[in-house]
Amino acid sequence: MPKKILFIEDDEGFFNIFSVPLKMKGYDIVHVSDGSLAVEKVISEKPDLVLLDIVLPGTSGLDVLKELREREETKLTKIVMLTNFGSDDNIARAMEYGASDYLMKYNIVPSELPSKIAGFLGETQESVVKVTES
Amino acid sequence: MQVYILNILVIVESILLLITSLILFSKTRNLTNLKKYEEALINAQAEQQAKENDFFPMLVHELRAPLSVIQGAADLLIKSTEDLNAEQIHTLLNQIKISSSSLLEMVGEILDVSKMEGGKFQINKTYGSIEDVLKEQCSYFEPVAKVRKVTLSCPKLEDLPSFSFDPERIKQVLNNLISNAIKFSLEGGSIVITSKKDYGFVRIEVVDNGVGVADKDKPLLFQKFFQASNHKDIKEKGTGLGLVIAKGIVEAHGGKIWVEDNKPKGSKFIFTIPLR
Ligand SMILES: Nc1ncnc2c1ncn2[C@@H]1O[C@H](COP(=O)(O)OP(=O)(O)OP(=O)(O)O)[C@@H](O)[C@H]1O
Ligand SMILES: [Mg+2]
Repeated sequence: MPKKILFIEDDEGFFNIFSVPLKMKGYDIVHVSDGSLAVEKVISEKPDLVLLDIVLPGTSGLDVLKELREREETKLTKIVMLTNFGSDDNIARAMEYGASDYLMKYNIVPSELPSKIAGFLGETQESVVKVTES
Repeated sequence: MQVYILNILVIVESILLLITSLILFSKTRNLTNLKKYEEALINAQAEQQAKENDFFPMLVHELRAPLSVIQGAADLLIKSTEDLNAEQIHTLLNQIKISSSSLLEMVGEILDVSKMEGGKFQINKTYGSIEDVLKEQCSYFEPVAKVRKVTLSCPKLEDLPSFSFDPERIKQVLNNLISNAIKFSLEGGSIVITSKKDYGFVRIEVVDNGVGVADKDKPLLFQKFFQASNHKDIKEKGTGLGLVIAKGIVEAHGGKIWVEDNKPKGSKFIFTIPLR
């Protein structure tokens, strides 16, 4: 079964350049472009990983992240921030809320995103094991 | 006798001196006032500059996004030619086209504003029917409105007289007003465009029942870069130049543009163009 990625991004352009290489590597991509629909989509789609932008229409990505962490169904879901707004404040808040990483769109070459994602998904299994062990 | 004349001369001279010093004194007072005005002006300019500097990173940001999308898409097309299927190639090529157009549009807006500020903005008037322009712009936006689940009603033809105006520039005004109305409407909203003859003017209204404009923001709307927003992380797309340009274009035609509340909800953007 291909791994599923829920990609929360309102900019069609960024969505296209990042989703094409992921699809090429066989990931199943689900697109959400409105922050206010994000949480319910994560709950219904049960993705292996969420790619989350910060500046979104509806609800900001940081608020989405916080809500995902507060909910029982989604508190362990892997979440990677993929955004333009790299202020220290935003990064600190995202990490505090338990994001796996904070990627800057301008620093990521699209063709290199799949290997990064593979890395995170590897970690997912590890951390799930850790959680169930303790 | 001579002493007498000399005395008078001395008195006259002192009076003259007094007058000149009084004049000089008032002049310097004027000068200090002038200095104050100058300082106030410089402060206001500095304030404006500071405001613009605040917006500058945001503007550059808006330019950088489509550029990096173009770069990313081109990079994928070059590196992964073998692995991409026809649909993906089409998606990426199409994206390059869309992003370059939006980039060009933004650069055009920045140029327009700088021309307006430098007093070098010009329009090219031709004699024609403004209703044709209205119809064209309205049908252009119909599919966009449909996607956003907003209804858009175009003006009924009123048989407005033909007159001289710059059709491309008036299109640009309508473009921005209609796209704003769609952008700031909620799902299920409706937008109504009307046109009518109003004494020596045509009066065009773009009315929506969307989020509306707060009273405190109304004087700021037609200023460079202004975007009303309730939350810094909630997206408001655009550069905030659209209404500045619309105002410049309408005023270059000798018309006016302003905003009013739409009761009970939303806003009305109204502009007039003289019939001549
Ligand atoms: N119909 C509307 N309803 C509510 N607010 C509006 C409406 N039209 C404009 N505004 C407010 O005025 C601001 C400035 O509008 P303007 O068209 O100048 O810029 P923009 O649409 O944000 O960007 P641009 O047009 O340059 O892409 C908007 O950001 C919005 O806050
Ligand atoms: Mg606009």
